[in-house]
Amino acid sequence: MNVAEKKARVIEPDTLIGKRIPKMDAPEKASGKTRYIHDINLSGQLHGKILRSDRIHALIKSIDTSAAKALPGVHAVITAADIPDQRPIGVAKDHFPLKVGRVRSERDEIAAVAAESEEIAEAALKLIKVEYEDLPVISNPEDAIKPDAILIHPEPHGADGSHEHLKQGMSIAHKGKPDNIAMRFDYVHGDVIQGEAESDVVIEDTFKLHYVTHCCMGVSGMIAEFDSSGNLLMYSNTQVPFLHKREFAEYLNMDPARIRIIQPPIGGGFGSKLDIYPFEVICLYLARAAKRPVKMLFTREEEFLASPTRQPVLLTLRSGCKKDGTLTFRQVHTLHDNGAYTSWGATTPFVMMQTFSSLYRVPHCDYHTAAVYTNNPYAGSFRGYGNLQATFAIEQHMDMLAEKIGMDPLEFRLKNAQDAGETTGQGMSFKSCGFKDCINTAAQRSDYARKVQENVANRNAAGNIKRGVGMASMLHVGGGAKIYPSDGCGTILKMDDFANITLITGASEIGQGSETVLSQLVCEELGLPISAVTVVNNDTAITPWDVGVHASRTTFIAGNSAIGAAKKAKAKILAVAATKYECAESDLDLRGGFVIKAANGEAVVELSKLLRNLHFQDKAELVMTTFYYEPPSVHQDKGFKGDVSAAYAWGTQVVEVEVDTDTGIVKMTKVTGAHDVGRVLNRLGIEGQIEGGVIMGQGYALTEDLMIENGVMKNPNFRDYKLVTAPEIPEMDISFIESMDGEGPQGAKGVGEAPSICIAAATANAIFNATGVRIYELPFTPERVYRALRGQTPKLYWKPWKAN
Amino acid sequence: MTELKHYFAPTSLDQAVECLKDGDVTILAGGTDLTPQSQAGRLKIKQTLMNIRHIPQLSGITLEGKEIRIGALTTITEIMEHPLIRERLPVLVVACDHFASDQIRNAGTIGGNICNASPAGDMLIPLLVLDACVELASMPENKIYRHCMPLSTFFVGPGKTRKSLCELVTSVRIPLPAEGHVAHFYKHGTRPALDISTISIGVAGTFRDGTLSNVRVAFGAVAPTPVRASQTEQALEGQRLDEATIEKIAQIARDEVKPIDDVRATAWYRKEMIHNITKRILSHVAQA
Amino acid sequence: MSLKHDIEFKLNGITRRVAVDVSMNALAMLRDVIGLTGTKYGCGEGECGACTIQVDGVSLNSCLMFAVDCDGRNVTTIEGLANDSKADALRSAFVEHGAVQCGFCTPGMIMQADHLLRSGCGGDAGSIKRGIEGNLCRCTGYKKIIDAIASVSGAPS
Repeated sequence: MNVAEKKARVIEPDTLIGKRIPKMDAPEKASGKTRYIHDINLSGQLHGKILRSDRIHALIKSIDTSAAKALPGVHAVITAADIPDQRPIGVAKDHFPLKVGRVRSERDEIAAVAAESEEIAEAALKLIKVEYEDLPVISNPEDAIKPDAILIHPEPHGADGSHEHLKQGMSIAHKGKPDNIAMRFDYVHGDVIQGEAESDVVIEDTFKLHYVTHCCMGVSGMIAEFDSSGNLLMYSNTQVPFLHKREFAEYLNMDPARIRIIQPPIGGGFGSKLDIYPFEVICLYLARAAKRPVKMLFTREEEFLASPTRQPVLLTLRSGCKKDGTLTFRQVHTLHDNGAYTSWGATTPFVMMQTFSSLYRVPHCDYHTAAVYTNNPYAGSFRGYGNLQATFAIEQHMDMLAEKIGMDPLEFRLKNAQDAGETTGQGMSFKSCGFKDCINTAAQRSDYARKVQENVANRNAAGNIKRGVGMASMLHVGGGAKIYPSDGCGTILKMDDFANITLITGASEIGQGSETVLSQLVCEELGLPISAVTVVNNDTAITPWDVGVHASRTTFIAGNSAIGAAKKAKAKILAVAATKYECAESDLDLRGGFVIKAANGEAVVELSKLLRNLHFQDKAELVMTTFYYEPPSVHQDKGFKGDVSAAYAWGTQVVEVEVDTDTGIVKMTKVTGAHDVGRVLNRLGIEGQIEGGVIMGQGYALTEDLMIENGVMKNPNFRDYKLVTAPEIPEMDISFIESMDGEGPQGAKGVGEAPSICIAAATANAIFNATGVRIYELPFTPERVYRALRGQTPKLYWKPWKAN
Repeated sequence: MTELKHYFAPTSLDQAVECLKDGDVTILAGGTDLTPQSQAGRLKIKQTLMNIRHIPQLSGITLEGKEIRIGALTTITEIMEHPLIRERLPVLVVACDHFASDQIRNAGTIGGNICNASPAGDMLIPLLVLDACVELASMPENKIYRHCMPLSTFFVGPGKTRKSLCELVTSVRIPLPAEGHVAHFYKHGTRPALDISTISIGVAGTFRDGTLSNVRVAFGAVAPTPVRASQTEQALEGQRLDEATIEKIAQIARDEVKPIDDVRATAWYRKEMIHNITKRILSHVAQA
Repeated sequence: MSLKHDIEFKLNGITRRVAVDVSMNALAMLRDVIGLTGTKYGCGEGECGACTIQVDGVSLNSCLMFAVDCDGRNVTTIEGLANDSKADALRSAFVEHGAVQCGFCTPGMIMQADHLLRSGCGGDAGSIKRGIEGNLCRCTGYKKIIDAIASVSGAPS
């Protein structure tokens, strides 16, 4: 052995953080090999289909399933009468999966069939006869709160006047609701009367936000199978497997321990899989009744009709400021169209109030809201969760107040923007806050200040194309949100003889790239390449508990959990190495697949070799660690106050438009965004999240409109529900502000929901900048804009209303 | 109620028109309208489904005397890319470019678009202003009988035409435009394609010395069928296109159409667009 | 039961014979009869492009095509691009550029992009955008998809 060979190898420092790392699941997806729920078939599987109401609001007088049951190939036909132990579902437990005695919306489930094929199931549905007695329809939330309004959930009783079994429970589905108010929130900090008295300028406007829906490219589906011992295996695209396991158990009156949920890759989530919907429970009933696996998939039309929406909101905002630009107060009243039943949409005021109370420094803030029952589709959770609606109003008022006092809108925002270290009236404490950096960066990169002036000067110039620029900012939770007793996530980390890692995480991958980011974080701790990791994240029988994918929490919460497990593994490895090589643990580190000397990077031993030694010794040991991360956030008190998230994300977006005054067509030409993301972990992934979110925001602002008339959906298809297509996308210039959050994994904060939030608000401001016309209602379709430009739009006004 | 009982894929025109004799036949060309309509139950396939793909006489774009003949099976992509069309009928290329998506342009045929008779059919408006005729074939006795019908009289209502159940559309024939011929097509929408038009407008004629003659104006999505606008045409005929005339004609166009409210727009907005875009197109013609 | 018809066609280079329901579309045949699930159902109306395949060298929506109309033709699905070097480059570009998120639109998007590249699409962002206007994506905002296609088009970026 010569001297040169003996010289120790030096491993240079390297990092995965901030790199452009392709998604680990992308190669399979790009080859068409990924098996989504639609692509999975179990032997012996039946196909389930649901009969939905063809009335909007009616009593069910009778259901005759005899002909359907007689059709060859049909294995089960069920109605509410066949499931006497049905339990109500939903956030307010206000409906049964199969409707009992009454339908309240177009999507309502009346009966279901399991058959040998989809065609037979569909043929069977056509043979089911239902008699209805129509009831008056409430299609407008303002009508729902009128004193003489028909009740959507009256005390239930059947045609014969009795439904004794229904009265045994305590939920709304059992005992009814004496008014049409599904949920209320009242929030106060400071004293708005005093705030108004201190104001030099006060403005009040009503804003109207519309129905949109998720449009996941993969339609909803589920496969359910009971084994011979009665254990249930579900293939489901839920975003919250562990909470749902418990809920499904309740609906089936079985032990949650006997339910296993496998989550196949998902064709898009965006919040739509956060609740349990009737079809899922019905699929379980069918599987139980038919004693065969049952697969249920929606058609696209059904996906429109029966999956949740973003919540439509009527919002009256009163704001004030002083001449020097200090905000004085903000008073907000909102009326939310809950639809016929209550899902997460009813709780969006939780998030809206954060924007009202805390996006800017507001000394006095009041917010009163009611979500009311109507016969419309019911709203669920959707990326941004109420924040798109709140920001639409707040950021338009920021421009309007600035104009009233003759202040530059940029300066006005900067004067009132939050800083790090502040605690807001709602008790949110901003440990890291790059808000002002976001505003300044977006403004500079878009040349906002110059363009605002230039566009105003050109408003009356010749030509039908008017250019506009508008700004809006947002605040959103970026470190989870403590809604449940725990907001945590577990990790199990296992290393094998070859120093490969199996990362078993509670966090679900819904296309957002969580498995790649989690792998990066673990590899960063253990000094391994990303190819060393296999992620297991889709089976409740294997993965540790997690609260679910929502509130932009996965990178933050699951990331910290994964780091925790990796740190424990690292400590164990270094302890073994220190003993073996007779040095202090602190002298060693892991890098490039080696144990190295921390001081100079000299390789001590290959990690895989060390792990094999550890395994194949007298007292054999394996490196397997677990970690559960619980963020240091708190539950809000009864007044909705408290530091609900471990970190908060900020962002500012500047939208540029061209308005064609001949047609009302608004073209979005450029979006300049600056986002405080704490730290960029995977640059490729975070760009993808932001770009996708921006375009989703563009759809909300300009093209997407789920039209409901008298409870009937007029456009349940992609022909008339217009998602943005490739030629319509604006140029995008995205900057990241790295505020290095102290609690965040490697300093990162959540970002998933942030990019959609500001677009509609900034677009409204841009259209005003271009034309001098302010439009208070979404979406900015050609006709709506054209009408407004021609002065054909009456000023919206909804009188603030408060229930007794 | 008849059930689908036969599938037939003729390889000659004779076989096809022979099959059509009993009238209980659904004709399949590109399939881009028929497939989703039948799958969704909006259209019931008759006793026989006849796939005309393999009939050679229905393909191709040719110059026949003073007419351009486009075979009924010609896809929108083929029309868009054909040198003869690009050179002599550029307005058709514009319409093709706004037609659905690349995938649908690759499959959808001109014959299918005509027979589907949508009030908003993208190709129909430019064809109307180009004085296109539809060539129909049938077999009343034992011989093929062909005749042509002007497209302007072909449409009866949404999805309804004057083609009898025994007839097959074999081609569309377009007279070669004369010197000085101008033709414009505008489709209103927020995106270049993949959109059912809110309104569409076609204007054609001979433009000489600032005046437009031999005028053809057609509107889409403002009536149960694509329509020629006779009052607008008359008002425009031989007029010098100055600003006041253009405004007057745009108003006549607005008053002439009787659109409806639907999910895409209200009647009021459609009338406004007919006015504004007619004005835009005429100004464009005047400035050229 | 429903009327069946025997057809014979080339599927991914191999001659297939299959009996299909005459009323069935090509998408259902590929997925449910033949078992190739790479081609996706997104809307069934030709509005989303998730079911894009290539027939006789052009891309089209398999949901808008009768299965019987495959008779005598040359059909390629995403699975058929597995051993194609040009398609390989496209797939790698999608991965490297972050053009895949949930991935549900990806097979259709790649089939369409592959057709564009083979049919001499300009390779500039404008023609690529128009080329994929019939393919909806809800996750990515299209930018990375456009970048990925441009990177293998040979056109200067």
